[in-house]
Amino acid sequence: MTKSSRSRIFAKVRHSSRGASAEFIREELDSFGKAPSAELPATDTATAFLANVLRNQGTAACAANRTDAVREVGQYLYQHYRTHRLVAGSDPRLAAMPWRDAGVLPRFGAAEGNEPAALSYARLGVAETGAIVTFTGKANPAANNLLAEHHIVVVDCEDLVGDMEEAWVRIRREVDRDGRPRGINFIAGPSSTADIEGQLVYGAHGPRGWHVILLGHVPDSTLDDARELAAG
Amino acid sequence: MEMNSQAFLENAREALGDPEKAKRRDIMAAFTPMVRNAAMESFGKFEPLRQHVRRVRQHTLDNLDHYLDLFEKEALSNGNHVHYAMDGEEMNRIVLDICQRHGARRIAKGKSMVTEETGLSRHLEGAGLNVTETDLGEYIVQQAGEPPSHIVGPALHKSAAEVRELFLSRHDLGERELDETAQLVKEARGVLRQKFLEADVGIIGANALVAENGYSMLVTNEGNGDLCANLPPVLIVCTTMERILPRAEDATAMMRLLVRSATGQPHTCYTSFYSGPRREQDTDGPVETHFVLLDDKRTDILASDYREMLQCIRCGACLNHCPIYTATGGHAYGAVYMGPMGSVLTPLLTSLEESHLLPNACTGCGRCAEVCPSGIPLPDLLRDLRHAEQAAKLSPRRWRQGLKIHAWLARHPRIYHGLTALGIPLLHRLGRRRGAFSKLPLAGGWTSQRDFPAPQRKTFMQAYSNVVKAEKKRQRND
Amino acid sequence: MNEERSNPEGHTRQPQVALFVTCLADLFRPSVAFDSIKLLERAGCSVVVPTQQTCCGQPAYNSGDYDATVPLAKQVIEMLEPADYVVVPSGSCAGMICHHYPRLLDGQWQRRAQDLATRTYELTTFLTDIAPLPPRKVKTAALPPVTYHDSCAGLRELAIREQPRRLLRDMCGVEVNEMQQTDVCCGFGGTFCAKMPEISAKMASDKVNNAVATGARILAGGDLGCLLNLAGRARRMGETIEVRHVAELLSGDLAGPAIGEGK
Repeated sequence: MTKSSRSRIFAKVRHSSRGASAEFIREELDSFGKAPSAELPATDTATAFLANVLRNQGTAACAANRTDAVREVGQYLYQHYRTHRLVAGSDPRLAAMPWRDAGVLPRFGAAEGNEPAALSYARLGVAETGAIVTFTGKANPAANNLLAEHHIVVVDCEDLVGDMEEAWVRIRREVDRDGRPRGINFIAGPSSTADIEGQLVYGAHGPRGWHVILLGHVPDSTLDDARELAAG
Repeated sequence: MEMNSQAFLENAREALGDPEKAKRRDIMAAFTPMVRNAAMESFGKFEPLRQHVRRVRQHTLDNLDHYLDLFEKEALSNGNHVHYAMDGEEMNRIVLDICQRHGARRIAKGKSMVTEETGLSRHLEGAGLNVTETDLGEYIVQQAGEPPSHIVGPALHKSAAEVRELFLSRHDLGERELDETAQLVKEARGVLRQKFLEADVGIIGANALVAENGYSMLVTNEGNGDLCANLPPVLIVCTTMERILPRAEDATAMMRLLVRSATGQPHTCYTSFYSGPRREQDTDGPVETHFVLLDDKRTDILASDYREMLQCIRCGACLNHCPIYTATGGHAYGAVYMGPMGSVLTPLLTSLEESHLLPNACTGCGRCAEVCPSGIPLPDLLRDLRHAEQAAKLSPRRWRQGLKIHAWLARHPRIYHGLTALGIPLLHRLGRRRGAFSKLPLAGGWTSQRDFPAPQRKTFMQAYSNVVKAEKKRQRND
Repeated sequence: MNEERSNPEGHTRQPQVALFVTCLADLFRPSVAFDSIKLLERAGCSVVVPTQQTCCGQPAYNSGDYDATVPLAKQVIEMLEPADYVVVPSGSCAGMICHHYPRLLDGQWQRRAQDLATRTYELTTFLTDIAPLPPRKVKTAALPPVTYHDSCAGLRELAIREQPRRLLRDMCGVEVNEMQQTDVCCGFGGTFCAKMPEISAKMASDKVNNAVATGARILAGGDLGCLLNLAGRARRMGETIEVRHVAELLSGDLAGPAIGEGK
């Protein structure tokens, strides 16, 4: 039944196609070059990334090292929940963080039901859109991106790229090495909707808070510069 | 309102007669172009990006056999089942069959215009399944028992007060405050969270299909699509083949246009790529995944002069910029797709007999083509459909004949000038005091809503020939 | 009367302009055509009016009757092509000749249409870009506030927006009071306004209201189709704003009744 539909569809498609060789097709596609991308708000990638994170209605922090990072996580949790409860995926980088220094003990696993906060370690950050990239898997179950009220994301400075095309270059490298992940998620803000009268409301089905911690050595003024750009 | 394109004029009249809804449409018509323009200006590269993406998409459609083959190969090797459906009925049957094989009772659905086309939810509910639309706008119209009024914002025709009434009557949650829009969203979030967690099957659409690696792309601001794609044990992606793009970067390049055109945002909150079922390293995700590729006349359109319509990315910008859509609202079109893109697609997906009024709901102003991120020449396609309508003798006889007579007269200048030289001065004498006619035979369509300005004393050709004659006489006398 | 004769594009003789008056000007407002001749002569052109002209064929074309339009288009091309330039006091008719004739025709007729298109101009564009009107104030009392309606075809097919405004500034000393939503259609659309009168009326009402809201006393434009539609709707609404073609303002022809105005 669906086999004969398949034949019919393929036959009709073939009839309308040019019948060019795979080589010719590849060459023609390559000849189009790269698509224009959005200009970054700053020449420094980290500043540009953080500015766009803020413009996405996320919040952001810089952490020079892992100790600072866990303290930042602890502070964020306490500020919003007066608790140190947190779920995190089995990413070895997350497991290796000095949690005791902040008095935080994450539950390593997948978020359930109405979790207050979930933590992810991103693969990449994309400055063009202020997005972080995660792959599904034990290291970061999809539920951790979606089910918690607050999503906290750590991303390394070295993992920042300029635009989407650069992101795909990096993603391809990882996929070539480790195989295709089930899901590749670009997340650029807390969830939102404008479906009622066009009024923008944050916290639709996904998280209503989104906090990005940039880990690594960046100039001290980076976050302030980003804040200024986002406000302007 | 009748969901029937032939009732377009009656539906339009009804819509025009509702001042509150008309006012809301006017507000949207002022607001949506403003945010789209601001986004494009800020981006600064609309035209070069539009050209680039257009080239890629035309290339893909020109070589669709190659890309469809490639996508299928990759999707299968990723562990998906891939099905093909000639028409909506077949798609519905395939989806129901998958659900029944799994003993599914509860379905969580993301927004998908393709499933609107086939009436999938109705079909599944008819078989006793419980289907929940999880996109907030789709959820609202589902609860209200109405069709969507816009392809991107299905419930924008409803006021917050109407949504409040709806939630109060449909959600059994006791006494509570729902005056703020934020509270409405919060309530929907709570109600729908349960549906995600309980669903046996997730059904979503796709904004793009990536041929090189068999992934499908889904974009949302709410995250509901991702919840449907990750939580239930079975996932079905319902889509069509013109969504295929060669590479992942082609999909994200297209997104730069789609989101700015649709909502004025530079990007959506969630841009997700899904390859198939759970892998070894996954702790969540569906164990079984299906693609259902629907034809429903796409291959016919591909072979026709309307082929460019397949480049539509469903951004809704043409609706937002169309003054006729603003005047009548989406429901008046009586079809799944409305506005300029709907007026082209509906006759192609259904028939000209059923929907020939829609291509006539157009002044040819060109505002749609100006903003279309896919560069589709909508006014030209609409005119071509009017041509098809005229050739099939579907337009009213008096119009067809009247226009033929006018064209014939225009090709016979002496007769044309002779007749107008008689009629115009007469009309002038009748109308010169008041300056305009409130009624005029043969001009009922005009005078029902407007006065008809009276002409001047003579036609130009009459007056000019007198001037020429007088000048010649003067020269002879000199 | 010693007219200043400007010499467009360094022609050694006066450029010969064929005026395509348009069917609406011919039938409903010939003064616009006479005003156009006056303006073109003032700009240093010699004007001929081919007497076999009737209509450019838009009504049949936009209703999809391509078969009826083709022979008419050929007739129009043959009639106009001997001139150096063709000038049209209408964005939609100029657009029809420039953009749609080449789309409609094939082979040698398409080539002839393309050639004609390179020499065909809407009036205000011609008087700014090709044969600029020597600047002079209109010798009448100062104009009341003016607002301007941009026809869709003129705006989108021929990029007409600044030209009439510049002419009004240079010739009449008037700065246009801009309406809200100048880029939204007035609801004329040729046969559309008669096929779908209620929708058309809503669009026309919006435009009239936007015009009145500027405080302008005159609503000017370059397309008689739009102007007849707006004047008719304004009268029905009880609005008294004066509707005139821009050629009337530029040539100082303001004594006669405005469109739809009685004696």
